[in-house]
Amino acid sequence: MRNILFCFLLLSSLYAEAQDFPYGEITQKDIDLKKYEKDTSAHAVVLAEFGKCQILAQEQTTPLDFEYHVKIKILDSKALDKGNVEILFRVGDSYHFDKITDITGITYNLAENGRIEKTELDPQKIYTTNENKYWNKITFAMPNAKSGSIIEYKYKLESPYLINFKSWEFQSDIPKIYSEYEVHIPAYYRYNVLIRGPLKLSKNPSEVEKDCFDFHGFKCDCSKITYAINDVPAFIEEDYMTAKKNFLSAMYFELSEYADFGANGVSKKLSKEWKDVDYELKHDESFGNQIKRKDMLKDVIMPVIANKTTELDKAEAIYAYIQKNIKWNQFYSMSTDVGVKKALDKHTGTVADVNLALVSALNAGGINTDVVMLSTRDHGVVNKLYPVITEFDYVIARATIGNKTYLLDATDPLLGFGMLPVRCLNDQGRVMSLDKPSFWTDLNTGQKEKTTTLVEVTLQENGKLKGTITRYSSDYSAYLRRRAIKKFNTVDEYVEDLDEKMPKMKILKSEVTNIDSLDKPLAEKYEVEIDAFKDLNNTRFTFNPYLLDRVTTNPFKLTERNYPVDMGVPSENTFLLNMNLPEGYTIENAPQNATFVMPDKGGKFSIAYSGTGNSFNFSHITQFNKPIYDVNEYPALKELYNKIILSEKAEMVFKK
Amino acid sequence: MRRSVLLFLLIIYSGASIAQINYRADLISKDLLPYASAIIRNKEVTIQVADLNSTIYHIKTAITVLNKNGDNLARIVIWHNKSNNIKYVKGLIYDEYGKQTSKFSESNFDDVSAANDFSLFEDSRVKHYSPPVTSYPYTIEYEYELRSKQTLNFDSWKPINQLGLAIEKSSFTFICKPDFKIKYKEINLLNKAVITINGEGLKTYSWQVNNVKAIKDEPYSPNPETYLGSVKIAPENFSYEGIKGSFTNWNELGKWTYDKLLLNRDMLSAETKAHIIDITKDIADAKEKARKIYEYMQQKTRYISIQIGIGGYQPFIADEVDKLGYGDCKGLVNYTQALLKVAGIESYYCVVEAGNEKRSMLPDFASMDQGNHVILCVPFKNDTTWLECTSQKIPFGFLGDFTDDRTVLACTPQGGKLLHTPRYLPQANLQIRKAKFNISATGELSGDMQTTFEGTQYDNREEFMGESSIEQEKLLKKIYPINNLDIGKFMFKQDKSSKPVTTETVSLVARDYASVNNNKLYFLINSVNRRTGVPREIRNRTTSVYLNDGYTDEDEISYTLPKGYHFEKLPLNLNVEKPFGTYQATMVLKGNVLTYKRRIAIIDGTYDKSAYQDLIDFYQTVVEADNYNTILVKNN
Repeated sequence: MRNILFCFLLLSSLYAEAQDFPYGEITQKDIDLKKYEKDTSAHAVVLAEFGKCQILAQEQTTPLDFEYHVKIKILDSKALDKGNVEILFRVGDSYHFDKITDITGITYNLAENGRIEKTELDPQKIYTTNENKYWNKITFAMPNAKSGSIIEYKYKLESPYLINFKSWEFQSDIPKIYSEYEVHIPAYYRYNVLIRGPLKLSKNPSEVEKDCFDFHGFKCDCSKITYAINDVPAFIEEDYMTAKKNFLSAMYFELSEYADFGANGVSKKLSKEWKDVDYELKHDESFGNQIKRKDMLKDVIMPVIANKTTELDKAEAIYAYIQKNIKWNQFYSMSTDVGVKKALDKHTGTVADVNLALVSALNAGGINTDVVMLSTRDHGVVNKLYPVITEFDYVIARATIGNKTYLLDATDPLLGFGMLPVRCLNDQGRVMSLDKPSFWTDLNTGQKEKTTTLVEVTLQENGKLKGTITRYSSDYSAYLRRRAIKKFNTVDEYVEDLDEKMPKMKILKSEVTNIDSLDKPLAEKYEVEIDAFKDLNNTRFTFNPYLLDRVTTNPFKLTERNYPVDMGVPSENTFLLNMNLPEGYTIENAPQNATFVMPDKGGKFSIAYSGTGNSFNFSHITQFNKPIYDVNEYPALKELYNKIILSEKAEMVFKK
Repeated sequence: MRRSVLLFLLIIYSGASIAQINYRADLISKDLLPYASAIIRNKEVTIQVADLNSTIYHIKTAITVLNKNGDNLARIVIWHNKSNNIKYVKGLIYDEYGKQTSKFSESNFDDVSAANDFSLFEDSRVKHYSPPVTSYPYTIEYEYELRSKQTLNFDSWKPINQLGLAIEKSSFTFICKPDFKIKYKEINLLNKAVITINGEGLKTYSWQVNNVKAIKDEPYSPNPETYLGSVKIAPENFSYEGIKGSFTNWNELGKWTYDKLLLNRDMLSAETKAHIIDITKDIADAKEKARKIYEYMQQKTRYISIQIGIGGYQPFIADEVDKLGYGDCKGLVNYTQALLKVAGIESYYCVVEAGNEKRSMLPDFASMDQGNHVILCVPFKNDTTWLECTSQKIPFGFLGDFTDDRTVLACTPQGGKLLHTPRYLPQANLQIRKAKFNISATGELSGDMQTTFEGTQYDNREEFMGESSIEQEKLLKKIYPINNLDIGKFMFKQDKSSKPVTTETVSLVARDYASVNNNKLYFLINSVNRRTGVPREIRNRTTSVYLNDGYTDEDEISYTLPKGYHFEKLPLNLNVEKPFGTYQATMVLKGNVLTYKRRIAIIDGTYDKSAYQDLIDFYQTVVEADNYNTILVKNN
C-alpha cells in the first residue's frame, strides 16, 4: 500500500517536473524589476503562472486533481492586495466535497545588504472559513509582502465534480508574462473545449500518455494538452460594460462523455449535441421531471382559473398566482433546489423552483408552455456552436397562446405579464420542450423604458408657474416607477417624498393610477406650483424650457472604447410643455427646431417649438433604440449626448 | 411551599398572557402607522448574568410586517461564535387575521460567515432567517436564547434602531445576583429603570416603552444615539475570554486594558532594535526621530485584519508584526509604539470610534464597546502628534476625517485618559483653485488650472496617487464635469509635512463647451466645481441639523472670450451669509476677460432644527448659482 502511494507520488512529480516552473527560485532580474515595460501602468505583474488539471484513479473514486502555482512581482503598494489570497471551494455533502491541500508560499525581498531574503508562509496562518452552505473559503496573507516583493504560492484542489473541470482564465486585472494550463484527460472522458477572448495561444502541444489511467482494471491512455500564452495584457473593465466573461481570454471545459465504471465502463454521452442535452434534461429529476407531471399542481391551479374563460386570462391568473405565492430567495439556478411542489408549499425557492413551477402550473391549466434556458447578462453570452450547459444560469417560461408567445419570469411580483427582468435580456435562450427538439429564441421582448411627460403651466404675476404635470410610464419605466413607489409604505408617502426632493416645486394635489395594474401604463398626475422667478418686475427674463431631468454632463468620458456599451434596454422619453404667459408678454427668443440622429437609427434627439402671442408649445424626444451599442457606434452615442447637452443650454427670453 | 405558590401564579399569568395575544393586523393603532413598514407588537429582551463567565440573552419578539419594505425588519439575524452559543431559536408565523400559518426552527436558518469584507479572517458568524411570506400584513413571533461566555460587554438596549419600525410595546430586563454591580446609562428615555429583587432573590432592572412611532430619515441629523432612546450597561467586575477585571471609570478601564492586553507585547528582536537605533542615531529632534520610525513602519507593513477570540481586543506581539510584515490596527499601533520606545519616545495606545462621522467616548460612562479602531498618540513636549498606523501613505501626524475631532481613550501605564483628537477647522480644510481659460468663437474651452488641497481635503486626490497617467487621466475626466474634456499635461504633487498639501495642475481642452447660436454664446460659468443636489425638504423635522464636515472651497476662473460680447442677462453677484456657512459668487466682464469668483465655506457643528429650511434655501441658492448659464450677445 505504501509502495503504491510512493509510486504514484513519483509519477505525479515527474509530470510536474516536465512543465511547471521550479518552486522557490527567482532570478536577480525579477527582483530588480522596477517597471513592467510592456505595461507601465501595471501595479503588479504575474511572472509565471502554471495550472494542471487531471482525473485521478483512486481506490474509491476518480476525482479531479487541480494544481495551481503562481509567481507575482509587486511593483508598487497599490498591488499589495495581491498578497492577500482567497481560494473558494465547494462545501458539498459528507461524501462529495472539495479539498484544498499542499498550500505553500514564499515572499522574496531584496534586503539592504543586497541579498535576497525569503519568508515562508506559516501554515498556522492559513485560515478556513465556511462562507455559507455552498462555499468554503481559504485565506492567507503573504508575509512581508511590500512594494518590490515577489510572492509565490501554490496549492492543490481535489474535487469530485468532474462536470466542473477547472476553467482557466489567462487574463486578470494585472498583466502576465506567461500563463500555462496543462490538462490530462483519460480517454474514458471527453470534454468540449471552448477558448474565449481575443488572445491567440502561443503554445498548444498535445501528446498521448500510454496507460496513464487505471481504475480497477479500466485502463486507458490520456491526452495531455498544454495551452499557453505569452505576454497576456491586463483586462481593464469599462463603465457600462456587458459581462466581462464575454471578452476575457479564458478556457472552459464541458464534460460531454464519460465511462460509467459501475456499469462495466459503458460510455455515457452528456452534451455532445443538443439532442443529447434535450434527452438528459427531460429525464432529469430536478428539471424535466418537475414539469412533466402535469397533474402535480392541478389541485392548486384549478381554483385559480375557475372563472377564467380565455387562455390569456387563465395564463395571467396563473402567472400572478405564482408571483404571489413563491418568494424568490435570490439564488439563480437551472434546476430546482427543493422541487416545484415543495417550493409552492414552502412559499420560497430559487429561480428554477419559481419558474419551473410556473411552467408546470401553466401546463396544468392547459396552456402550452415550454422552458427557456438562458444566461443572464452578468453571466455572459452563450456560444451557439455546441451545447455547454454551464454557460446557462437561469430558466424562464415560454407560453404559447393562440399564435403568440410570451416569455415569463415569476421571480419579481412587479413584472407585468410578458415582461422579463433586464438581467434576462441577453441575446438568445434555448427553448426546451417536452415533445419537440430544442431551439434558439430571441430574448428581446421588444419592451422599452418609455415615458411621456406633459407639463401644462401658466406663469403667474407672482413669478410662479401653476398647472399640472402628468407622466405616463410604460414597460420598464412603469416597472421602475412602481418599484420606487413600493419603497414607500403608502402612495401618500411617495408623493410627499417627491415633493420634498424638489424644494422649488410644491405638489398641491396628486393622483397616481394603475399602480397594481401591471399591464397598463402607470399614470401620475400632479397639480403643482413651481418657483420660476422671484417676481416679474424685470422687462426681460430668461427661461430654460427643459424643466425636468435636464442632462448637464455626458456619461461617456473616454475618447474611445474597447468594449460595447450596455444601455440596459432601449428607451424613449418624450417631454411636452404647454405654457401661457401673462397678458402683455411676448417671446423674444425661442428654441429652434432641430433633430439629431445616430447612424443606423441607433438614437435620436429632436426638438419642436411653436408659439403664438403669449403662449407656446415645446417638446423634445430622446430615443436610444438599442440595448447594446457596439464599439464603432460609441463616438456617435457620445456625440448625441453632446448635442443634447448643448441644446439644453439654450434659454428662451420673455419680454414684457 | 412558597415556591409552588409562585409557580402556580406564574402559570396563571402566562396563561392569561397567551389568551391576550392577538396579532390581528387591524388591531394596530392608526397612530403607529405613519412611516412604518413593520410594528413590534411585543418585544422582551432579557439579559441575565448567570455568573462571572456567563451571560444569557433571551429575546422574544412579535413583529407585524405591513408591506414588503418591512421584510428586512422581520428578518432574524443572530450573531454567534465559539464564545457566544445559540441555545435554541423557534418561531411561528401568523396571517393578517392572527391565525397561525406555519412555524420554524433552527434548521430553517442559514448559517454564514459574518466576517467583514476587509478582514482576512474573523471567527464571527450569523444565523439568519427571512420569513417566506408573500402576502401582507403578516406577523412573525419568535424567541431565542444565546449564551455568552463573558461579562464585559452587554448589548445596549435600543428599542428603535431602524427606520420604518414602530413599537406597541418593548421591554428590557437586566437580571443579576445582588452582588454583581453594574453601572447603567439611560439616554432619551421617559421611564426610568424599575429596580427590584425578584422571587429568586435576583436583582432586576427593567425598562419599557409603549407606542413609539416610526422615525423618518432626516438628512443632516446627528448621531442617532443623541436623540433615540437607549440603555447602556457596564459591569464593575467581569471576565472576558478568561481574563478577569474590574472598572468603574475610564481610568480603570484603560488601566485594565494596559495591564492585561498590552503590557509586555512590545517585544522586538535585538536586530530590529539595533536597526531602529541605527536609523535614528543621527537625528537629534525627537519628533524627527518619530517621523523616521513611522515612515520605516509604513514601508515595512500592510494592514491585514485577523480577529479571533481575545485577538479582537489584544494586539499581536510587536515581534510577530515585525516578522510577518502585517497586522491590524491594534497590531500596527502596538508595533509602532514598540519601535518608538526603542528610540526612547513615549506614546499612547488610543481606542477610538473611527469613521467619517465624528463619535466620541461618553465622558461619564466607561465601557469597552465604544471604540472600533486604535491610533497612536505621541505627546511631544510642545505638541501632541497623532499617528494613523494602518496606511502606507498617510503623512506623519495627519489623521484626516477618519478619526479627527473626537474623544478617545488613551491606555497608559497610569491608567486610561480621555484625550481629544485635533479638529481641522473649516478655514484650514481648503480647496483653492485658480484657472485661466479661453473660450473660442466656436465654443471651445481651453487653458490651465491649479488646485491645492489642505486639511481634511488633503486626501481629495488620494485615489490618483500611485496610479499610471492613463488611469489618472480617466479619473480627471470623471471628476471634472466638463463635456468633451480632453486632458493635456497634468501633475500631482504631495507635500507630506504634518500640515500636508496636495497640488494638482491640469491643462485641458473641451470642444463645444459653450453653445454658439444666433450671435449668442451660452455656457456654464462654473465649469469645474458645481454642486448639483439640494437636500430634501423635511416637513415637521424632529432632529437638530448636524454638519459633520467643515470646509472652504475657493475658485477663481478668468475666461478670455472672443472680442465684442456683452451680457444678455444680469451677471451673478451673490453674497449669502448664514450661521452654518457662507457663499459668494461674482462675475465681472472687463473687455473680453470674464472673471468668475466663487467661495463656499461650511462650518461644522450642530444647529437648531429650525435652521434646516435655511440650509435648504442656502444650497438651493448655491445650486442655482453654480449652474448659472452665462448668455453673452455679440455687440451690434
